[in-house]
Amino acid sequence: MRRRALAGCLAALALLTACTSQGADGTDGPPAPGASGPAEPGILRVLASSELTDMTPILEQVREDTGVTVRLTPIGTLDAVDLLAKGGTDGRYDAVWLSSNDSLRLRPEAAERVVSETPVMSSPVAIGVKDATVRKLGWRPGQVTWSDVERAVTVGKLTYGMTDPARSNSGFATLVSVASALSGAQSALTDADVAKATPRLKEFFAGQKLTSGSSGWLASAYQRRGTVDALLNYESVLKGIDGLTVIRPTDGVLTADYPLSTLASTNAATREDVRRVAEALRSQGTQREITALTNRRPVLASVPPAAGLDTSRRRELPSPGSRSVADGLLDSYENDLRRPSRTVYVLDTSGSMAGERLSRLKQALTALTGDFRDREEVTLMPFGSDVKQVSTHVVDPADPRSGLDGIRRDTERLTAQGDTAIFTTLEKAYDHLGGGGDTFTSIVLMTDGENTTGADAADFDRFYGSLGKARQEIPVFPILFGDSDRAELAHIAELTGGRLFDARKGSLDGAFEEIRGYQ
Amino acid sequence: MRRIVGIVLAVLLIGGVVAAVVEGRQAEDEGTATKTVRAVIGSEKAAFFADREVVDALAAKGYTVRAETSGSWAMEELDLEGYDLAFPSSQAPADELADKHGARKPLPRPFYSPLVVVAHRSAAQVLAAGGLATLDRSRGGTLKMGAFLEAARADRTWQQLEGAEKHGELTGTLYVSTTDPESSNSGALYLAAASYVANGNRVVASEADLDGTAPLMRKLVQVQGAQKSSSDAAFRDFTSGVGEPLVLVYESQVAALLKEGVESVGDLTLLYPDTTATSDHTVVPLTGEGRALGELLATDPELRRLAVAHGFRPQGATAEFTEATEADTAFLNQQLTDVRQAPVPTSEVLREMARRARG
Repeated sequence: MRRRALAGCLAALALLTACTSQGADGTDGPPAPGASGPAEPGILRVLASSELTDMTPILEQVREDTGVTVRLTPIGTLDAVDLLAKGGTDGRYDAVWLSSNDSLRLRPEAAERVVSETPVMSSPVAIGVKDATVRKLGWRPGQVTWSDVERAVTVGKLTYGMTDPARSNSGFATLVSVASALSGAQSALTDADVAKATPRLKEFFAGQKLTSGSSGWLASAYQRRGTVDALLNYESVLKGIDGLTVIRPTDGVLTADYPLSTLASTNAATREDVRRVAEALRSQGTQREITALTNRRPVLASVPPAAGLDTSRRRELPSPGSRSVADGLLDSYENDLRRPSRTVYVLDTSGSMAGERLSRLKQALTALTGDFRDREEVTLMPFGSDVKQVSTHVVDPADPRSGLDGIRRDTERLTAQGDTAIFTTLEKAYDHLGGGGDTFTSIVLMTDGENTTGADAADFDRFYGSLGKARQEIPVFPILFGDSDRAELAHIAELTGGRLFDARKGSLDGAFEEIRGYQ
Repeated sequence: MRRIVGIVLAVLLIGGVVAAVVEGRQAEDEGTATKTVRAVIGSEKAAFFADREVVDALAAKGYTVRAETSGSWAMEELDLEGYDLAFPSSQAPADELADKHGARKPLPRPFYSPLVVVAHRSAAQVLAAGGLATLDRSRGGTLKMGAFLEAARADRTWQQLEGAEKHGELTGTLYVSTTDPESSNSGALYLAAASYVANGNRVVASEADLDGTAPLMRKLVQVQGAQKSSSDAAFRDFTSGVGEPLVLVYESQVAALLKEGVESVGDLTLLYPDTTATSDHTVVPLTGEGRALGELLATDPELRRLAVAHGFRPQGATAEFTEATEADTAFLNQQLTDVRQAPVPTSEVLREMARRARG
């Protein structure tokens, strides 16, 4: 069995890059919904949660068994639900495969595009804590509650990272688990529960030191920092990270059940293919391989979960039943509960940006002002041959409009001229930010060309190396745009622990929006 | 085909409509002189009509069935022009369809399946200790609906039941997890049974009945949060060990899974509500061929045997079901002893009930 899985793995390795939008260069561009390709017999175009790319070897086996090729297009849950709601999946995709359909059910116009769903495997929300921290806290992994986690956070003995609940299912499921447990809600969360739990939730989220738009980057940022004690995510993700003790709090969790879902817009033959693939995925042999390969749990009672997955039961916490509760919880997380973010937008406004590129930048930034959170500090740092201006705006919860209007005003005033001093400007951005403070701090770098003046890459490497630990933890998220130099930007992302985004594949709006998950 | 799919999409407010389309494997049956019969069926029967043996048994009698699935409660919104029969999973929509399309009654009802509650052993034992259930079989028993609904009305939690403290997962409000009653038959039938009990063992028929039962129905639904849209997904989550302690499913789902061996159900314990609703798989003939097929399904020994293999109870004598499930009597209440069948309100009333409960 194991040998077969391994062989499948190797055979499928070549396919992996074809299956995911995350290329070997580490860019994480927003998936282009049109990239699914035309309908072809024997090929299922499946819109899928990004972590499902780890199923590639299994899907290769399914292809051999059924003759049906499953082609995954990775996408964030929120984007998938949006696309479904707008009908963007019609004729472009044959099935949808998300970690959970719960958020889809809250949007009737999205829910009605799905006609049947077959859960394929499951993974509960869990907290992965450094082995040493578990010992220090004196925890017994089978007996930890969310309240224990909260206590450890409030006395300063535990910090953690998690994904952004507005953009990823793992983050949303984590947020609901924590809010349910800390509010003492005995059934599905209500607005009143959320309001009641707010003071405790605020203390809980003060312990969050890392945020991320994807589980993959969360894990690498955690390893790079070394100072964060724990991660909140699905059990299967945490099991893949060395040195973590994976704990399912005893007072309950939400579980992802990965339903392979048929779309209303498809025809009989396509649905039959989806059914056959679901059946193949749920066969005993495949279920054994899934749990061994992915650390997700099998959905057949007759197949035991992979070694190391504790089988004691946990209460399944209900997912919110109405959009107003879900939105209210997200809103309070973004604008009140979590630490605010501080961001410097380093914006190339050199001569080459003149014309259409500059207007696209202005448009994208203006669109972004609809997305800034209360308490957020936004600095615009346009540059050409040097920094042209530094303007900082704070979104004041008492008067959010004035800060946002300020950003829009400064955006409108941008003009294109001069050379391209990328590294000099980046150094000034680090100087501006100083120590991190109690915020999520990051730099976004948008450039349409390569560095032509001022400090060079080697100078910047030395500069970065000389920074204190707090400032070295500030990541740069570069955006490829126009004629920018991929190698140069990839190097900056790698050096600073950031991530490269590609606005040439998708749109500049899309890249800015995607980065929000990391801020 | 195109047309009906379009219409089905248009009426999706009733939801749960059009699951997989099941083709009668026509290609393989070419050459035999079979009549093609077009059917709209409830999704619970999709696996039955897709079964190779069923296709062969039908072909042997001269039929090729092309079946499309739809939510049972959505069928009356469909334009059934060109179809030979509708085959909803509930009697109330079948009666209304028959009236609308002038189908002669009585309607063939080839098989049925009662709604049941599946529980993990620990939950079943705690319910029994708390007087909310009795365990008369080693893997099954009876859920006392009156007592259970009283507990739900009073917001009782698992923690308040003796013995729950030994099982960490048994916390939170007591409820039976169901599918969305606005979009799915089983969720709607649960409200039918619960409202019958709450209404003093009378079927909810008037505005006053609706008003009187609405607060409890709303409570039963609201505590669940997001509900699944099909009983298939809910049951599969349960058997995988995920999920709620008590889940409403069809008996046929459990009986069919038991055929794969007792290990396939884990520590499942099967509770029959002492008042339950039944999924009556009722044929609404729209043509002579449709009626002939409905009668064939009800009377042909081979097709009845196959229905049993899919966990359904064939109409009439119980011998076939009893014989075929002899190995599973630890779970199944073969004779449905002490299980009262609650009549189901009219579609209109039930829809209004579901709307108020969800809204």
